[in-house]
Order: sequence, then C-alpha cells, then structure tokens
Amino acid sequence: MAKPKIATDWMGDCAGCHMSLLDMDERLLTVLGKVELTSSPITDLKHPPEEGVAVGVLSGSINNTSNVYVARMMRKRSGCLIAMGDCAVLGGVLSMRNAFDIKEGLRRAYIDTESTVDGFIPQSDELAKPIRNRPLDQVVKVDYHLPGCPPSADAIFHVLNELAEGREPVVEGEALKYD
Amino acid sequence: MTVLNVTINGKTMEVAEGTTILQAANAAGIEIPTLCHHPALKDIGACRMCLVQIENMAALQPACSYPVIDGIKVETHTPRTLEMRKFVLEMLFSERNHYCMFCEMSGDCELQKQAYAHGLAHWTYPTPNPKLQVDASRTYFIMDHNRCILCRRCIRACGDVVGNHTLGMMSRGAKTMVTADMDEPFGDSTCVSCGTCLQVCPTGALVDRRSAYGGRNKDVDTVNSACTFCSIGCRVNVITRNGRPLRVEGDWDGHNQGVLCLAGRFQPLETGRRRVTTPMVKRDGALEPATWDEALAAVAKGVQAAVPGKIHAWVTAATLDQPMDAVVETFRGKFGGDVKTLEAAPPPGETPNGGAMKDIDTADLVLVVDADPLTEHRVLGYRIKRAADNGARILVCADGDNSMADFAHEAFPLSKLDWALASVTTAERPVVVYRAAMDPRLRAKLAVIKAVCIPLHAAANAARAISLGLNNEADGDAEALYILLEEQALTPEQREQAHKAPFVVMHACYVDDVDGLADVVLPAPLWYEREGTFHNIEGKSERVRPAAPPPEDIWSETSVLQQLSLRV
Repeated sequence: MAKPKIATDWMGDCAGCHMSLLDMDERLLTVLGKVELTSSPITDLKHPPEEGVAVGVLSGSINNTSNVYVARMMRKRSGCLIAMGDCAVLGGVLSMRNAFDIKEGLRRAYIDTESTVDGFIPQSDELAKPIRNRPLDQVVKVDYHLPGCPPSADAIFHVLNELAEGREPVVEGEALKYD
Repeated sequence: MTVLNVTINGKTMEVAEGTTILQAANAAGIEIPTLCHHPALKDIGACRMCLVQIENMAALQPACSYPVIDGIKVETHTPRTLEMRKFVLEMLFSERNHYCMFCEMSGDCELQKQAYAHGLAHWTYPTPNPKLQVDASRTYFIMDHNRCILCRRCIRACGDVVGNHTLGMMSRGAKTMVTADMDEPFGDSTCVSCGTCLQVCPTGALVDRRSAYGGRNKDVDTVNSACTFCSIGCRVNVITRNGRPLRVEGDWDGHNQGVLCLAGRFQPLETGRRRVTTPMVKRDGALEPATWDEALAAVAKGVQAAVPGKIHAWVTAATLDQPMDAVVETFRGKFGGDVKTLEAAPPPGETPNGGAMKDIDTADLVLVVDADPLTEHRVLGYRIKRAADNGARILVCADGDNSMADFAHEAFPLSKLDWALASVTTAERPVVVYRAAMDPRLRAKLAVIKAVCIPLHAAANAARAISLGLNNEADGDAEALYILLEEQALTPEQREQAHKAPFVVMHACYVDDVDGLADVVLPAPLWYEREGTFHNIEGKSERVRPAAPPPEDIWSETSVLQQLSLRV
C-alpha cells in the first residue's frame, strides 16, 4: 500500500512553525517512514501536487492576497487540512496590525520610517495586496487546529503520527499551548 | 448553627448554613473551575465558569454564589456543565484581545489556564477585537482594557476590600467597561494606587510596570515578610527572581488582609537612588571607599577620641529589634552615651493599646484622634473607610488638614475631644485610633473610656524604642555621633544638629543621605535584605525575612555593631 501523502506550506508567518517541525529530529524518520512528504517550503518541491495529498499542513495567517491563494490551493488539494501554529489558528502576532489602517501601516513602514530616504509604497500587479489579517479558518475549512507559537515538536509529532496511524488527533494537555 | 446536608458528585457532607456550593465542593476536594471568584472577595457569579447542575433544577447555577440548601444534590462535571463552561470560555475569547502570544500574563493567566483545561484548540466564534484604550496614566501599573474579561474582581477589591470605591462599570453588554469615577483616566481619578486590584486581576488587564516580563510564577521566589514603612507592619510577600526584587504583594492571611498601600507596594522598589555599597571614610575632605577594617578602625578611633558620655547614637525607630538592641547595648551600655530616636516618640504617660485591625471591622464607631491614617497609616485608613461602608460611624478629632475628615460623619477640632468621647460612650463596640505621640493629657482621657484603642506610631518599631526607654528629645552636643539611618531621612534640623558633631558615623543605605555629613559611612542592607523581628500595630512580634541576599560587601547591622563593640 502506498504511503499517504502529506504537503506543507506557509503563509504570513516567521517560519518558526517549520523550524519546530524540523525539531522533531530523529522522529522525522519515523514520520517519513509512515507518510510521503510531497512538498514543503523547506524541500525542492514547494507546491502540493495537483493530484492531491491526504494531509495538508498550513502555518501562518492570511495576511495578503497571495496567502488566500495558497490557502485555497492547499484546501482544494488536501484530504484534511491542519492549521499549524498560533498564526494559522488564531491570527497570531500579525493581528496586532488590525488595530491600524492598512494604508497607515504601509506608510509607516515604507515612507515614515526614520531611516528611510525618498521612500515609496511598492505597487505592482505582481505583488500580493495586504488585507486584514485573519486566521486560516476564516478563509477555508480547517479540520484540525494545532495552536502554539510555535507548537512544540512533540505536539507536531503527536498530530502527524496520529493521522498517519489513522486516528483523530486530539490536541490537549502539554500539547495545547498558545504561546 | 444550622447544619445542612449536601451531596456533591454523589458524596454527602454536612456544611454550615450560608456555605456556597463552591465552598462545600472545595472542602471536599472537588475542584470547580472559576474565573471571577477570588477567596478574598465577595462572590457575584459574573463569569459563569462555575456553573453546576442541581437536581430538579432546569437551569445550571453558579456554584460560587449559590448557597447550599438542605438535601441539595449537585453534579459538577456532567457533559452539560463541561459544554457550558467551554461555551463561556469561547464567548470570553471572542470579546476582546485575548491573543496570548503577546500578553504579559501568558503562563500565569487564569483565563489561559481554563482554556487549556477545557481543550480550546481554537476559537469557535469570530473575534471582532475592538481597539480599546490602554490606560497608562498611573505611575506603577497599567490597565489594558483589551485584556479585560469584566470579572469585576478589581472593582470588588477597590470597593469591598479597600473601601475606596474608585472603580466601577460603564455601559452594558459587550460595550461594558471598567472605569474610574465618572470615566476619568485612572491617574486623574480618586484611585490611591494601593494596587489591590492589580493583585487580584486574573488576566493581563492590570500589569505591574516593574515586574512585567520579569518572570513567570514558576521562575520566581516568594518570601513572606513584613512591611516596615509604618507601624502597621503589613504582611507582605516579596517576589524575587535571581535575587532581584520584582514586586511586593499583600499577604491575604496577614492582619492587613492582603491590602497594602502605595508606599508599601510600589515605592520601596522604585527609589531611583544611588546606594551605599561599600564602607567609606573621609580622606582630605571627601568620602572614599574603604575596607570594613579601615572603616571600623576609623570609627573606633573617632569614638575613642571623644569624651565618654559625649558619644551619642541616633537610631531610626523603623529599624528591627536586633539592630536597635545592639545600638543601645553598644552606645548606652558600653560607651556610656545617649541613644535617641530620629522619629517622635510618645512623651511618658499611659499609651492605651491592645486593639487589633479586625476590631475595626466589627466596630460600630471609630474615633480618630490627632492622626491622619489615610496619609500616614493608609492601610488602617482604608480599613476605617471599609468599616464606614459596613455601617460604622466615623468621627475625626484633629486640627489642621486631615484626609480622613472628608470621610467622617463628624469632625471636631482637638479642643473638642470631650465631645467626641461623649459619642464613644454611647457606642457598643467603639474603636479609638490615635497618634501615640500626642499630648499625654489627651491620652489619659482615652485610657479611662471603654473602647478598644490603637496607637499609631511615627515609625515601624517605635514600640520597641519605647520599651528600651528611647525618645527623640534633644541630647547634649555630641563629640562622636553614630546614626543608624537605613533608608530613612534626617529632618533639616537633625541634619544641622548632626553637623555640629566633630565626628559623624552614618549607617545608611543611600549616598545622598550621607554626602557632606558623614566622616565614616557604613553600608546598611535594604529592607528586603534584612532579617529580624519587630512589633506591629497590634503589639505582636513579626518576622522579617530576607527576600534577597545583600551585595557582597554589605554586612548585617548587628554584626557591624558587634565588631565595633569589640574594637573599642
């Protein structure tokens, strides 16, 4: 029997969740013995395959139009979708930005910064547009939530291993943490 | 006392009438989750975390505010109660900014703890997150309304415990806000910055500026000690991390019942003054660091050069028993000099005493004579205001401005003490609070009335000073003068008088106190580094425990005095 496929991707985040995923250390081999990792931001292949995967893992919040695209693609190509980390589950640090107007924020970042000379706000059709920051489940349906900033390697291993073994992952006890 | 039967989770027990379901459950070792409940506060059932199922009742009831009825059967952990508690938490998280990852309280927060316990892996409801104000108008602590869950613990602490009634609620529903007075910034309000609200806040809504981000509860050490900044002697817990004091909290089990004042909770940690860290000796007109050996030799030399009988010592009556005894032993006993206190001591005569703080709680009349407890003995002042809330009549008999007079039912000048005492005789449980150092003739009048009396002293350990026969009456000109100052200050007159002595030794904590006056400076440990005993306002001996070790080169005051005694 072919191993179930798994794909990960990140959106508005700091890459810490994927660092924590790598922190599984030798248990990565256990997980990779049970599943096939098709794509992730830390492998050569970045995008989930068109034929789909059993499990999609997304970290980071929805913070611009590109994130929406990534989230929808992963949702479409995944059997079940895991929101990994506080940003994907709750909105994360980026939600602090929601207290301010986006234009005001861009101005502060690109023009008003003390060290900036002749600043301008980058504008190109190829660039994603910033939007109000929100957690993943406000854009696509999420099957399992794994909060934590970042979730511990133990918690990530627990969720992936439970899924690989065909069980429902329950995040509780030590694995449940918001910061 | 009526005994009632209650069955909780199938376990039957007997409790006294008036016991709540929560109290009965706790006594039986059954834990019911709570948020707005605090052991020191009256329960109001605001948060609905403690909902329990009562047999034959359709609606769930809050255990914290539901008194036991005879024969009542309660279930605390049914699928329905668990579901409701989770629902309550989800609603709380949807209201304001409860993102833990950028909150100071994360790790110690009671809301977070409950969310973990109830397995809230994500928030079910949208989080509109209104942008609310962060009020930083108070010097020592911040109110972040975004983190508030409206449990009203702060309001109950302010009103019911401290008797200050600054905090209240404004608006209704999701727009409800905790406010001060008529919606003033906290710093401009009638808030007295006692910090009791800060101590009871379950979330990161009230944040101590100094200890914020200083360490979680699991990282810190807590030492139970006593505050020596006035003669009340409030029990405190000093919280330190790696030997650095982070904050001071009131001890709920002390006679102060957890309440502290601005001067006991915040100011001692925020002096901003430069500390004396090594012994210093004056050389060529300037103080220079010296070894203990050099400093003690210099003191011995100065003392020996003086005429016996002209070797005087001044000691702060705020110091603990042990150093005070050592000063008297050394300077009066061995050197034959005079020892006096820096603070005013009562002139001879009867000092009626014996009252306890809790007598105020049950008093029907409190008479304040020649004292201003709300300024000088604030925790006692708060207690009197609380007694007024509970129906006690407050009389103030004092001259001049008196902040207690604003809260009194009647105020008299001191010359009308007899009128005030006439009211006392008609009361059933009167308490008289008076300035210990006031006119002995007035004190004599208090001694003959039937009332509980509480003397207020000018410094923490004045009672010891009195028993050692110390007072602050002028001594003759000293040829050698030793001053145990600690963190107290000399009055301008005392400084001027000290200047007249040819040789001055200062045992003090701060550099600006000794500059330009001392010939030898001995460094003293700070209040949280000292160990010993003193007598509190109730006349009971209290332990002061060191919360942190003093810096390496600072010795205990008693060992310095012993060394000195050996050298002369």
